[in-house]
Amino acid sequence: MPAPVRTAALVVLAVLVTTVLSGAQPGTGREIPTAPRPAPAAAAGPPVVDGFRSPRTYTAVAPPVRLRIPALHVTSSLERLGVLADGTVAVPASPDIAGWYAGGPRPGQAGPAVILGHVDSQAGPGIFFNLFRLKRGTAVLVDRADGSTVTFRVSSVSRVSKTRFPRDLVYVPTLQPTLRLVTCGGSFDHARRSYRDNVIVYAA
Amino acid sequence: MPGHKHHSRLVPILCLGVIAVLPAGCTARHPAAAAPPAAASHAEHQAAAATATVPTSAPDRALRLQALLGQHSILAANFMRGRIRGDDDFAQAADAALSKNTADMRQLIGELFGSAAANQFQPKWQEHVVELFEFAKGVADQDKEAQAEARNELIKYEQDLAAFFVGASHGRLTTAAANTAMRMHVDHLLMQADTYAAKDYAKSDQLYRESYDHTYDLGATISAALLPPKQAAELRTPMWRLRSALGKLLAEHVVVVEDATRAAVTNAPDFAAAGQLVNANTRDLAAAMDTLFGAAAAKDFQSLWANHVDALVTYAGATAAHDSARQDQARADLSTFEARMATFLEGATGKRLTVSTLADALKAHDQALLKHADAYAAKDYTSAHDIAYQTYEHMSELAGALANAFGSTVAARLPAGAPQTGIGGMADVVEHR
Repeated sequence: MPAPVRTAALVVLAVLVTTVLSGAQPGTGREIPTAPRPAPAAAAGPPVVDGFRSPRTYTAVAPPVRLRIPALHVTSSLERLGVLADGTVAVPASPDIAGWYAGGPRPGQAGPAVILGHVDSQAGPGIFFNLFRLKRGTAVLVDRADGSTVTFRVSSVSRVSKTRFPRDLVYVPTLQPTLRLVTCGGSFDHARRSYRDNVIVYAA
Repeated sequence: MPGHKHHSRLVPILCLGVIAVLPAGCTARHPAAAAPPAAASHAEHQAAAATATVPTSAPDRALRLQALLGQHSILAANFMRGRIRGDDDFAQAADAALSKNTADMRQLIGELFGSAAANQFQPKWQEHVVELFEFAKGVADQDKEAQAEARNELIKYEQDLAAFFVGASHGRLTTAAANTAMRMHVDHLLMQADTYAAKDYAKSDQLYRESYDHTYDLGATISAALLPPKQAAELRTPMWRLRSALGKLLAEHVVVVEDATRAAVTNAPDFAAAGQLVNANTRDLAAAMDTLFGAAAAKDFQSLWANHVDALVTYAGATAAHDSARQDQARADLSTFEARMATFLEGATGKRLTVSTLADALKAHDQALLKHADAYAAKDYTSAHDIAYQTYEHMSELAGALANAFGSTVAARLPAGAPQTGIGGMADVVEHR
């Protein structure tokens, strides 16, 4: 038996013995011919790693400045909203202007961006008066401070009791870029001066 | 090995730290998680295996199915690439790792969906792997007929596997959706092989990443379709989705660093593309930190993470150049990173995770990646694959602990109650529509 053939046979035998002893099945169930081709050695030339550099500059998605919902003829600048002393989210000061919850993601970055708007005022409709009319697939556009625009499509619309507001679904960050539009709906509790429900639009 | 006993307790300790603040906590799911790979001998891993617990909840098992499927896509691609390079010793070791992955997946499917499902799944999956090998062999040998035959066989097994998942889902998964998912998985792997053989490494690595991403997510699709509806609903909760997404990104960090390491220690021409994958993963991790903790935290995180990645790549390059001084410098840089990142994460999570446990876990991670580079440079491919396998699982466990701590930190600052976005002036109209 020529030396190269003998060597190859021994290698194959060693692999088979090792496989049997270890009790492992080959992943493919088939023998992979080993040798006579040697594993590639380190290539000559300048080190390939010399040109490598990790990214050091972090570019954040710009904050939102304007909301547009063409299907509802809605265009609004966006007020920055935080959290009130009682822990609830602040709402826009004007019924005609929507607001972005700045404690959460910016629209277009990974996670759920939340925009709130009033359904009405004392005297008439608010910026989100017709939000409940949005249908699956409707476009919602958000313009950002750097001049860019991100477009979302409505995936669902729900109306939920304020006592069962789905805080996790609205605010908890997953890593998919999504948008939530929130307003009020349902019947009005005159004693509490509050609507009993919220209307939530989920868009991605 | 000095310090091993300490390291072997790191992840359980980390989990305990999380359990202390979260009822859900985390559960050690694999021996590798109980004993970080860099610090453990084979015998020590065997001992750990005897005492390790397994996931008991369906959502945890669904996360593990995702991780195993993502790992399958990486191992299959590596195996095909080894065969195309003519690096048969490497391909042999990759084949063994793929075998372990298939066995682990079979066991998990048995736990999730029953032994009958596992018994049906395993041979179909195995045949699918065989044909991937046959295709790579055809590419390596420039045998178009063999490639076409393997492709035809793969289409058949795609359909078999899709039919299996559809049947097991009791109608919750459509045939069209299952066929599309399986077709995409196979197409990714074949195209990355074709482009790798053509030396279009940028395209090949793009497909490598897409393949991992798609196959990882396939685990959620399968679990959601095959689990009973009540358990499947848990996979739609934001917290589960956060754990899934973070697990995918952090485990991807392991596989793309290892991919770059293999190219670096052989000074291979595909390094530039592999480096781009590493950087894409780094950017995505920083973006995730932005979502969780804001842009300033993301900037700090990315700077620290860049030090980490640069040190790992430097070590691999120094290993190729037999430059022990640069290797030592890389080790020192990693030690600095471990301490600083642990401090950063302790602050970000409001001390839900502590510096000491985080630093130990990060050290175990770094040491494992250095040992992987050493083993690959020494052409000890069996050890390199063993280490890679364990490092991947260790990172999946660590990602679960991090996601739990991140999630509870973020949850603590979310607005309470429901927004008051109405004054009532149009109540008569609003309540009657």
